[in-house]
Amino acid sequence: MENIRELQAYGYFFFTLFLVVVLYAYILHLYRAEKKGTRNYEKYGKLALDDEIDATPVEPNDKGTDETKENKEQS
Amino acid sequence: MFHWLEQRPFFFSVGVFLVIAFAGLIEIVPDFAQASRPVAGTQPYTLLQLAGRHVYIKDSCNACHSQLIRPFKSETDRYGPYSLSGEYAYDRPFLWGSKRTGPDLHRVGEYRTTDWHENHMWEPTSVVPGSIMPAYKHMFTQNADLETAYAEALTVKKVFNVPYDQPGFTKLGSWEEAKKQALEDAKKIAADMKNKDVKEAVERGEIPEIVALIAYLNSLR
Amino acid sequence: MQNAGLEYDYTVSKWFAYLAIIFGIVGMSIGTYIAFELAFPGMNEWFGQYGTFSRLRPIHTNVVAFGFTLSGIWAAMYYIAQRTLKVSLKENSFVHGLAKAHFWLYLLLAALMVTTELMGITTSKEYAEMEWPLDVLTVVVWVLFGMAMFGMIGMRREKTLYISMWYFIAFFLGVAMLYLFNNMEVPTYFVTGMGKWYHSVSMYSGTNDALVQWWYGHNAVAFVFTVPIVAMIYYYLPKESGQPVFSYKLSLLSFWGLMFVYLWAGGHHLIYSTVPDWMQTMGSVFSVILILPSWGSAINMLLTMKGEWNQLKESPLIKFMVLASTFYMLSTLEGPIQAIKSVNALAHFTDWIPGHVHDGTLGWVGFMVIAAILHMAPRYFKREIYSRKLMEMQFWLQTTGIVLYFSSMWIAGITQGMMWRAVDQYGNLAYSFIDTVTVLHPYYTIRAIGGLLYVTGLFMWAYNFYKTMQSDKVLEKEPAFASPMGA
Repeated sequence: MENIRELQAYGYFFFTLFLVVVLYAYILHLYRAEKKGTRNYEKYGKLALDDEIDATPVEPNDKGTDETKENKEQS
Repeated sequence: MFHWLEQRPFFFSVGVFLVIAFAGLIEIVPDFAQASRPVAGTQPYTLLQLAGRHVYIKDSCNACHSQLIRPFKSETDRYGPYSLSGEYAYDRPFLWGSKRTGPDLHRVGEYRTTDWHENHMWEPTSVVPGSIMPAYKHMFTQNADLETAYAEALTVKKVFNVPYDQPGFTKLGSWEEAKKQALEDAKKIAADMKNKDVKEAVERGEIPEIVALIAYLNSLR
Repeated sequence: MQNAGLEYDYTVSKWFAYLAIIFGIVGMSIGTYIAFELAFPGMNEWFGQYGTFSRLRPIHTNVVAFGFTLSGIWAAMYYIAQRTLKVSLKENSFVHGLAKAHFWLYLLLAALMVTTELMGITTSKEYAEMEWPLDVLTVVVWVLFGMAMFGMIGMRREKTLYISMWYFIAFFLGVAMLYLFNNMEVPTYFVTGMGKWYHSVSMYSGTNDALVQWWYGHNAVAFVFTVPIVAMIYYYLPKESGQPVFSYKLSLLSFWGLMFVYLWAGGHHLIYSTVPDWMQTMGSVFSVILILPSWGSAINMLLTMKGEWNQLKESPLIKFMVLASTFYMLSTLEGPIQAIKSVNALAHFTDWIPGHVHDGTLGWVGFMVIAAILHMAPRYFKREIYSRKLMEMQFWLQTTGIVLYFSSMWIAGITQGMMWRAVDQYGNLAYSFIDTVTVLHPYYTIRAIGGLLYVTGLFMWAYNFYKTMQSDKVLEKEPAFASPMGA
């Protein structure tokens, strides 16, 4: 019983610590990416506004899924 | 790294799941073994009491009545000693409730009697003027489902090792034995009641819901 | 352009919207009825055993939470997913079939749920009252929902998932996990061959059962009443106002914050109960921390309207949504306050708790679903919304209803909590229990009237929606932002 409790406490502590670190790293990443110009997250806000089916995607999904799917359905 | 995750729905979902599952794992699992140990003297429900518990659940008494006395003086003065974890060891499901539109019932068996319950369930305002509780007259005519109660008792005995039939614990026995015992218990309760239809039904070997319910309420101590 | 000429397919979304309207009216009418029963107990006898408060209360909660809210969420999900992923359900008949099967099985489940609970077949666990055969059906419905959603995600043209989709995914996973664990039960018939075949007994007993139940109960609120509704407001408010989210980064952070913290807060339902002390404390502490991610989203929404506050005056739809996020802030502040141990000692078991729940459900969830469906109506039918005036009236009527509801329940809850603990000069309890009940009569009456106002608003909503279907003001093309509406 005591072992489980101890494990529980350690598990709780380290996982929380881990998640807090990850969350802060994420904040850092979000702002650094924007500053360095590698990626501006704010552009994804456009996803809700330009959502017509024939609107140009913000970042096209290049897996080419739609072609293959359509081909399959036609055949 | 973060962006990679954001564009891959599968791994993203795994990540979300880990984050939300973690709390449950740490919070709940380790306390399981300890919390389920019964306090000395706690007995599994008899067949009649269990059938009454089903009536309690069927009509959602727990929507308005709690069965959890918190450790405050104002509560122990009103309802009796505060509740202990082990007292609930045989409660499946738990019936703590979340709202006290009516009073707590965890120890109602200590201070209410069969005839009080009978009058109260028939017409609540006759014993508690101003009560807003509904009358439950249908419990006087519908019969309790002993068979399902027996099935449940046998299930918990087999699957969860609830100590039925062990020395010093509630006797369950075979279906015939259990039924006979339940009927005997029912007769004792009916003897304290005044409703003719109920008395006759018990004489006939039936068990109206009200009898089972009172057996259950009287067992709450 | 391979997708030229393609259109979004709103069939399933529309079906769910119809259901949301029907369940909204049914569930909240029952709610109003039982609210009147508390004020006028004679009404308990109107429908025999099927009309008592106790029998109807689980039906009210289930129909509103799992009928009205889930239908509204799915109407939005099948709409938002197509649009933000830029795929149409027309493109893949298999996924479309899954979505349709999801709808029909869900309808069957909802009908069975109401029938069985009316008959008194219940496991008694709050918000998980269905017996095991219906639990199995729920799992099937949920899997279909997941397959349809991930099917659409698999087809997507847009590589990045919009924040709303993040929340929908979390909704899917969270509810699946919680529901499965809380509904672990053993069907008694299969073990013994006796009794009713649909009866089951919980896998957990006593305190454990309570722990799992409130871990579920609290987080069902999180993952049904919060997460998917946040998903909705992140789409509909920007879209209706034509303003992108104020800070997309903040929305991402709030998401992870909410995911991490919310699950821990469940312990606050069991303060001063028999669960271990440290867990109760954790529940309190995390409940307070929970304010941060919740307000992160809510403030983000309000700031989205920056410089555009004139729209609040002009569009009743914006009014609904801005008030919804305000109520979200209110109830996410009120909740943590109630989770503080000393406050909880007073508030627990009183009417303050249903008061708190209804701030969130009527103000936040209800208003968001109402706004979402009205936003979609002109897109569904290519017609103008029938009447702006009616929407304005509905808005003010329902807002009044909510204010009456929560103010009366605050007073009722605190009054009762204080009376339970009041002592006379010798230290004896000052009031018998019944004193603390009769004193609540005026507040119960006010609350019921508040509910009545809200339900009246729902009828106006349904009428507006119906007239929109019939309207002769046909739109040439789908409106980009603000929904067109007649006078």
